[in-house]
Order: sequence, then C-alpha cells, then structure tokens
Amino acid sequence: MNNTGLKKFSIIVLIAYIITVIVFYHIAHDQIIYKTVPDNMFVSDEKTPVGEIVEGTVVLQPFIPQVDILDSVSILTATYERVNKGTLFFQILDMEMDSVIREKNLDLQDIPNTQKVVVEFEDPIKDVRGKELAIKVTSNGTPGNAVTIWQNVNTDLGYDLILNGNPTGQILCFSTSGREYLWFGQNYYLISFITGLILLVYLVRLNYLSIKGNTCLGLRIILAFTKYKFLLKQLVSRDFKTKYKRSVLGILWSFLNPLLTMAVQYTVFSSLFRFDIENFAIYLLIGIIFFSFFSEAVSMSLMSIVGNATLISKVYIPKYIFPISRVISSFINFSLSLIPLMVFVIITDIIITPAIILLLFSITCVFLFSIGLGMLLSSAMVFFRDTQFLWNVVGMLWMYLTPIFYPVSIIPDRYMTFYKLNPMYHFIDFSRIVIMNGVSPEPSEYLVCIISAIIMLAFGSWVFKKTQNNFVLHV
Amino acid sequence: MIKVDKVSVQYRMTKERITSFKEYVMKFLTRQIKYEEFWALKDVSFEVNKGEVVGIIGRNGAGKSTLLKVISGILRPTEGSVVCNGSIVPMLELGSGFDMELNGRENVYLNGAILGYSEDYINKKYNEIVEFSELGRFIESPLRTYSSGMLMRLAFSIATVVNPDILIVDEILAVGDVSFQEKSKARMLELMGGGTTVLFVSHSIDQIKEMCNKVIWLDNGRLKMIGEAETVCDQYLGYYNSP
Repeated sequence: MNNTGLKKFSIIVLIAYIITVIVFYHIAHDQIIYKTVPDNMFVSDEKTPVGEIVEGTVVLQPFIPQVDILDSVSILTATYERVNKGTLFFQILDMEMDSVIREKNLDLQDIPNTQKVVVEFEDPIKDVRGKELAIKVTSNGTPGNAVTIWQNVNTDLGYDLILNGNPTGQILCFSTSGREYLWFGQNYYLISFITGLILLVYLVRLNYLSIKGNTCLGLRIILAFTKYKFLLKQLVSRDFKTKYKRSVLGILWSFLNPLLTMAVQYTVFSSLFRFDIENFAIYLLIGIIFFSFFSEAVSMSLMSIVGNATLISKVYIPKYIFPISRVISSFINFSLSLIPLMVFVIITDIIITPAIILLLFSITCVFLFSIGLGMLLSSAMVFFRDTQFLWNVVGMLWMYLTPIFYPVSIIPDRYMTFYKLNPMYHFIDFSRIVIMNGVSPEPSEYLVCIISAIIMLAFGSWVFKKTQNNFVLHV
Repeated sequence: MIKVDKVSVQYRMTKERITSFKEYVMKFLTRQIKYEEFWALKDVSFEVNKGEVVGIIGRNGAGKSTLLKVISGILRPTEGSVVCNGSIVPMLELGSGFDMELNGRENVYLNGAILGYSEDYINKKYNEIVEFSELGRFIESPLRTYSSGMLMRLAFSIATVVNPDILIVDEILAVGDVSFQEKSKARMLELMGGGTTVLFVSHSIDQIKEMCNKVIWLDNGRLKMIGEAETVCDQYLGYYNSP
C-alpha cells in the first residue's frame, strides 16, 4: 500500500470508529448506562400480618436503597380471603426532607391474597443511593373491610417497621427494584474520545513512519494483508468450491446442515429432557451454528499446515495464511447458515431490534478466537500428529461443556465459576441475548468476550511465530 | 543479485523420528532423545550476477535442494546470510500447487496467486498461459482428468509467463512431448536472454553444459568448485568416473 492509500485507509478507519461509537451508544444505551438490579423479596419462614390496615393505621417502613434509580417497590399483601372495598394509599417518603416523593393509590379490590404487589412509578426516583427513604401505607378501610401486609418476624436486617409511631422490631416483607449507574456508561463519551485520540495518534504515527520509509508492526500487517489479499481470496475460494464439489445439493448443505442438526436435537431434547427454555428452537440453532463455526474452523486450521506440506516446502508463502484462510472459509459457511437462523427468527414471535447489529461483535470474537486456537493447534500438529486425535476428544468435551442444547440453570452454582471460564459460553450467551432478548448485554460481557478472544489470538500467533521456521523440517 | 555468504544449514535429526506426543514425553523424561547433527550445507559462499544461468550439480544428498530452499527463503540458514534482490519464482514440481478438483482455469489463478502474481497480471496473461500450455478446451475440465504431461505443461506455462528476476528450476525440464520440450527450452532461453537469473538443478550434465554459463558443484554440503560450465562439468565427470 502506498502513502496515499494508507492515508485513505486511516481516514476510513477513523470515520468507521466515530460511526461505531455513535451507533453503539444508541443501540445499547439502556444496557451500558444502567444495570438492572432485580427484585428479590426476602420472605422468612416466620411471617405474620401487620394487622388490618384501617383508617388511622400508619405502616411506616424506612429503608435505604442500594440502587441509583428506584423503579418499583413491592410488598406482600393479604386480604383475609375476602373482597374489600376502599383504597390503599401507598407513599414513598424522603425521611431527610420529610416529604412525600411518590404516591400511588391502590384499589383494595385489586389487591391479591398473599401475593407480591409491585408498585411501579411512572417516573422513576433518581439518585436515591444511600438516602433514607420510607414506605408509608395507610388506608381508608374499616375493620372487617381492610387488607394487611406481611412482615418478617425477628430478623436482623435492620430497618425497624414502625406501626402507628411505635417501632416493632420486625421488618415488612418488601423489596425494591431499580438500576445502578455503570461507570462505563457514565463516562462513555469520555472513554470513546480518549480511545479515538489514541487511535488517531497511532494512525498519524503509521502515516509518518510510512512516509519516512520506516516500518512497524501495524504497517507490516497492513502491507502483508494487501500483498497476500489475492492469495487469501484464491485459497478461500478453493476451499469453498471443492467443499461441495460432486455433491448434488451443493451449497444447499450449508443451510441444511444446521437445520437438520437442530431438528434432530430439538426432537430429542424437547421430548426427552423437557428443558424449560423459551423459543427452544432458536436457542438451539444459535448454539449449534456458533459452535459448529468454531469447531469447523479449528478442525480445518488444524490440518492446514500439514495438508499444504508440498507447498510449504517449495514456495515461500507466509505460513499464517493457511490457518487464516481456513477460518475464513468456515466463516463463509457460517454466514450462509445465518440465513436459516434469521428466517426462523422472523417466523417465531421474536421481535428483531437494532441490537441485532451487535451480533457482529460476538462473530468477530469467535473469529479471532478460532484463528488463535487454529494457529496454536496447526503448529502443534506439525510436531505431534496426535493433536488431531486429541482435538477430536477435546472438541467433543468442549461441546458438552457449552450450553448448546441445555439451559445454563442446570449447572450447579458451585461449578459456575469454572463453567464461565469457557469463552464459547460467553460468545454464545452474548449472541442469544442480542437475538432473543433484543438488547445489548452488559458492558462487562463485551470485555470478557474480547479479552478472551485476544488472549487466544495473541498466544496462538506467538506459538506459531516461534515455531514456523521449523515447520519445513517436520512436515 | 544473489549473494550467499558463508551459509550453513544444520539439520538436527532425532535418531528415530518422533511424531507422537506420548513418545516425545516418554523419551524426554527418560532423556533418550538423541540428536544427530547433520550439516546439509557447510560454509557455502558465492555470488550470482544478474542474467546469469547457474547450474547446480552434485550427487544425491549433496545439498542442492537445500541450497535452493535457502535462496528462495523457505529455509532459514543456521549460520550465514543470503541476500536476494528481486522477485523469485520457483517452478513447482508436478502438481504441488494444484488442486485436482478444480478446473484448469481456476488452477491458473490459484497457482498464480501462490507464486505471488497479482490478480490484474493473471487476467492480462491468462490467454497467453492457456495458449502456451496447448490445453485448449481441456482448460475447463477438472485437473484430476489431466495426464501428467498436461499437468506439467500447465505448471510450466504458469511459472514462465512472468519475467521473474530469479527463476528457480529443480529438475523439471523434461516436460511433455518432444515438441513441447523444444518449446519450453526456447522459452527458457528467451527468459535468460531477457535478463532473468536462473538457478538450475539437474542431473543431466549435457543439459547443464548446454544451458548454463556458470556451474556450482556441491559435495557433501560443501562448495567443491565454482566456475565456467565446461570446466566444472568436465572436472565433475572426471572425478566420479575415475575409480
């Protein structure tokens, strides 16, 4: 690439970066700004009602929220198994300011017996972390025509329940749900700006070095890519053309394979094990196509050096091109199998949101991860031919350790830490959240995915680089 | 053009070839891995100028192929250095860059890419390649249906369509039928006349004498003699023919 080409390339990279920053902010807004803290109500085995809440009864439960934004408060009500008439006045007080900040009136008829009542605020209460708030419940019910709320007996949770002005030593069965601000989201534009600045400085440096006639790692990568682009294209198109050559259905197999695998597993697992997974077909299909992309890419790269032994010992070609071309071939196959997946997503009741663009991220991660592992195993294969047999077993084990056809919930909690060490788990989980929930995962998920992919890539290419000069002696 | 400076290549061979991990670990733990050091090339230095046609002769195992590998960058020398200015095109042995499932046309592109040609260049030269190979309509058939002569003709046509700075030929000049042999020899001479440096390995002394103007004689990895084709070839024949 010449200097003007490099300049053009740098400008494209910068523009692409800015567009990505803006688009990503809008797609993933809610997930990168806040983290939702779920509503976990503590209900002890010993619980009693606070007694009928009639005209004049004041139930006051102070609490200090552990979230930044309070979305809803839940209480556990009881009706004495009768239909009551009247209104329950539900208020949130600010104890420091001694003021009512939210109130809501609930019709006694709508209140269920021993069930959670979620009081949601249309206008969430912001910046509440650490503030002293309180739930105040009053009613205009009359004796024999009133509801009550459950309380936990003898707990050490703090927050004494105050009934008609007297502390009781008990605590109301209540819970809050809200959102936490995330550091990343709060500083999103600052972080993006600094990253952009670093990128800019690096690109300027590349251009400067290139004009000076010097070189560096980045320049060498760009140069190698432009130089061997055509070879890469030829190798990939060879893999693609020969893959289905002499088969009647040809390219259709790329669609059929994942669908048939899914059909078989769907029949087996939905009738045998009855996992409780919503949209099981989609759940399964996402797992299958992502994992087969990974395992096909790695198995094909594994053989890439040994399989091209004649070429390697005759012509000078950078050897990394062989595993990379194999991963690209598998990637094309994978892209084709995304088509039946999308068709399935459309015909089921999943709503497609712009978040689906984020799939590009998890695909990139699987891609880089596969190149890394492919390089590692292909160089191991040159020295030890056992690698292929070992990989067959390890690959199968890996498949069972990844939640492809079962829900993560069947894994006991104590193994979860180990279980989550599997990067494929994160890549597939990420993709499922993006497709099935239509939202972006949490920022930390991005970090876990990209870091595991980059570590594998760095380690694989390091081993490959260290050993590649000896390949020709062993193939 | 090509400067080979005190090049030595050492192969470290295990006495038995270990290709399984278990074997390696077992032997490693019991310290049974014994390496045999073997110098395929030892202290070889010479220079080749632009446009020279250099023959490399020597007995089997003398290090001819190793020398070509070092020059083309496939093998890194253990000691010494090689400096080459210009593009190197190796003429591949029968079918090594080909894919038998693809047809001739696809293979021209694949093989061209492997030899480092650009896409534009192959587009431009495609007709010339097909014409030279005399394959005609067979160019659209899969390579597995080709005879070995046809394969060789195609390989030769692809390798010589370019005017490389350095062409490396490892004993493949006996290509095709008599008329094609004549044609390929003419093409080689044309390339040599056009300033291409040719490195040429052959066991046929007659061929070497005919085509080369400089000859390198390797013996057990060492440079035995370098000089005019006639003199070196005569010495070589005399050395092995005398009892």
